[in-house]
Amino acid sequence: MIRFVERKWIYFLVSGLMIVPGVIFLLLGGLRPGIEFRGGTLIDVRFDTAPTVAEVREVMSGLGREEAQIIVAEGGRVEIRTFEMTPAEQAATEAALKAKYGERVIDVNPQVVSPSFSGELIQNAIRSIALASLLIVLLIAYAFRDFGWSAFRYGIAAILALLHDALLVLGLFAMLGFFFEVEIDSLFVTAVLTIIGFSVHDTIVVFDRIRENLRLNPGEALNPVINFSIMQTMTRSIVTGITVVFMLLALYLFGGFSMRNFALALLVGVISGTYSSIFNASQIVSLWQEIEDRIRHRATPAPA
Amino acid sequence: MRLTSWLVVLIAVLAVFVDIPKHQFSFPFNCPGICLRIGDFQVNQEIKTHLGLDLQGGTQLILRLQFEKLPPGSNATQSELQTQAINVIDRRINAVGVSEPVIQGLGTDKILLELPGVTDIQQANELATKQAFLEIKVPNKEKPGEYVSLQPPLTGADLNPNGVYVTFEGTRPVVHFSFPGAAGNRWVQISKDFLNQPVQITLDGQEISAPVIQTVFSSGDGIIEGNFTTKTANDLVIQLKSGSLPVPLEVIQSSRIEPTLGRDSVQQSVVAGLIGLLLVAFFMIAYYRLPGVLAVLALLYYAALTYAIFRLVPVTLTLAGVAGFLLSIGMAADANVLTFERLKEELRTGKSLRAAVEEGRKRAFPSIFYSNLATIMTAGVLFWFGSGTVKGFALTLAIGVFVSFFTAVIVTQMLLQWAIEFPALRKRRLYGVEERPADTRGATTAVPATLSR
Repeated sequence: MIRFVERKWIYFLVSGLMIVPGVIFLLLGGLRPGIEFRGGTLIDVRFDTAPTVAEVREVMSGLGREEAQIIVAEGGRVEIRTFEMTPAEQAATEAALKAKYGERVIDVNPQVVSPSFSGELIQNAIRSIALASLLIVLLIAYAFRDFGWSAFRYGIAAILALLHDALLVLGLFAMLGFFFEVEIDSLFVTAVLTIIGFSVHDTIVVFDRIRENLRLNPGEALNPVINFSIMQTMTRSIVTGITVVFMLLALYLFGGFSMRNFALALLVGVISGTYSSIFNASQIVSLWQEIEDRIRHRATPAPA
Repeated sequence: MRLTSWLVVLIAVLAVFVDIPKHQFSFPFNCPGICLRIGDFQVNQEIKTHLGLDLQGGTQLILRLQFEKLPPGSNATQSELQTQAINVIDRRINAVGVSEPVIQGLGTDKILLELPGVTDIQQANELATKQAFLEIKVPNKEKPGEYVSLQPPLTGADLNPNGVYVTFEGTRPVVHFSFPGAAGNRWVQISKDFLNQPVQITLDGQEISAPVIQTVFSSGDGIIEGNFTTKTANDLVIQLKSGSLPVPLEVIQSSRIEPTLGRDSVQQSVVAGLIGLLLVAFFMIAYYRLPGVLAVLALLYYAALTYAIFRLVPVTLTLAGVAGFLLSIGMAADANVLTFERLKEELRTGKSLRAAVEEGRKRAFPSIFYSNLATIMTAGVLFWFGSGTVKGFALTLAIGVFVSFFTAVIVTQMLLQWAIEFPALRKRRLYGVEERPADTRGATTAVPATLSR
């Protein structure tokens, strides 16, 4: 039998070591918002007949504009969205296009374009997550309603586990952004939301088992029940983790370039979610109980 | 149980029917997809997979803000007006359905709008350019037969968006509206001041209705009985709820755009998904044996039903959506895993197969219920407050969780019940447990005494 609860400080330390570096890079502004969040320049190019997306991408890459998003519209129009360009850079782009296509380029028209993914949307999402977290605390407290006020600590522990997983992924991408200029896009937002859902789901399964075992073993101390419950649900946590990881690994390895960062974020988030539900969530509840016991012990002197 | 089984089979048949691409048959046989007509209630829903801008391209409109039509004396800056207009269009498009549009400001006086698929350009135009400025006007005391604005004007901006909806009087649609708070008091005051006189309701300067006030109102609620069809009434509701555009817009360019992602990336994701599915199926069967086979069947059921719902709602699938769908299959496996782990545990305590299946179902239910409910709540909040991509994500998440709950709690259980009816499938080995009932002294429900201190 693994002493999950007794070793909680080791697990907390592991989590801390995983999260703190990421948080540092988050604070250093490591997350690099992609073109959807920043807007920039939209260059509307009119050709006599439109070239392929791949060809235009080559030209833009030659100018160091890896972020360019290229759309082919009817009537030989090609739209290139990039981060904000100076007039000189716009002229250079026009020159590069004309150098490659010559007379085929009829007209080049750069304009300022605003973000397609507004800050409002992100703020709304964050507010929604805060509200959803509150509801989750209430839901879990309701499930544990037989245990009085201590019902709330389960909900709060679940939310801390959720923060653990979200921070780990955000931190990872802050580091990737800092060192490898990886940008985050709307897919990343989706990935973080998925991770949050998965994290809570996983934690609740463990907590539900604790609840059942507490009911079936009245008078038993909390820590042995937690140890036993984690052990009982561990196979399930790992099996579920493995099925999801299989799916994500396939997406990561074979899903093509555009899927890669999305799959990576989810992969890390799901592994973290499995870890935090086994090694962190219940341990927080246990720690809370121990602190409370200690305070109560001091408050009421032991009978002589 | 009998009835449930039939229901499960019926749903499966319907789901597969909806999943079939390019309908050869239709219901009731003379239009594509589903066409129903019950009195004034009509459904004309073409069944198809709606793909996002990235996968199938769509229509692009460039709209110009007609600043020259702005009433003199307005002091909002151009960029403020542009942002307001973008928000209004965003709300309107979201109200019509989740289609993951792109809406961006272009320069200082234009808005770029991209809608997936071969959208009805006419409707898109109307949605994006109709200013929808509602105003209440009262009879002019000096010039009979004419109407004047109130001071200050009572307009659509004062409406409570949640109080706007359509009902039918007989077959005629009427639009309900509601002024909250102070605006509501003004509305009541109007009914006192102009009792037995007509009050004019105008939209973009045109009269849509001029009812005679017959009683003093008791609240800020009212109705518009214009010459509506069901469609125009619904359009008006969407426009009133989303607010009016701060300036009139005009379409200066509309064109088809090609998908941003090539066919190859779509194919790659589908191949990746199939590989992932095979891995999951292989793992489930290797680990859980017979229940694993049942779980794979249940997951196929899940995939067919979810995809059918995506086609019916419709949900616009982007590449992210496809990936999310594949991922949800992996997550839907979880509810089955929970059930089977319980089943194994119960079998190990020496219970008969039938009793273990029943007990496993009962014991696994709270975990499945609460964990799914938590996800549903998250999805609900994100859908309610989110917009654009986030809203689309929340919708697909909610559909996935509902269906996975249904498959795990009903379908998997049903398959298990069927399986244990066959003597050949009753061997305990098939369920991943030793043939002889194991040592039952350490029944799983009690915490082992050695642990307690």
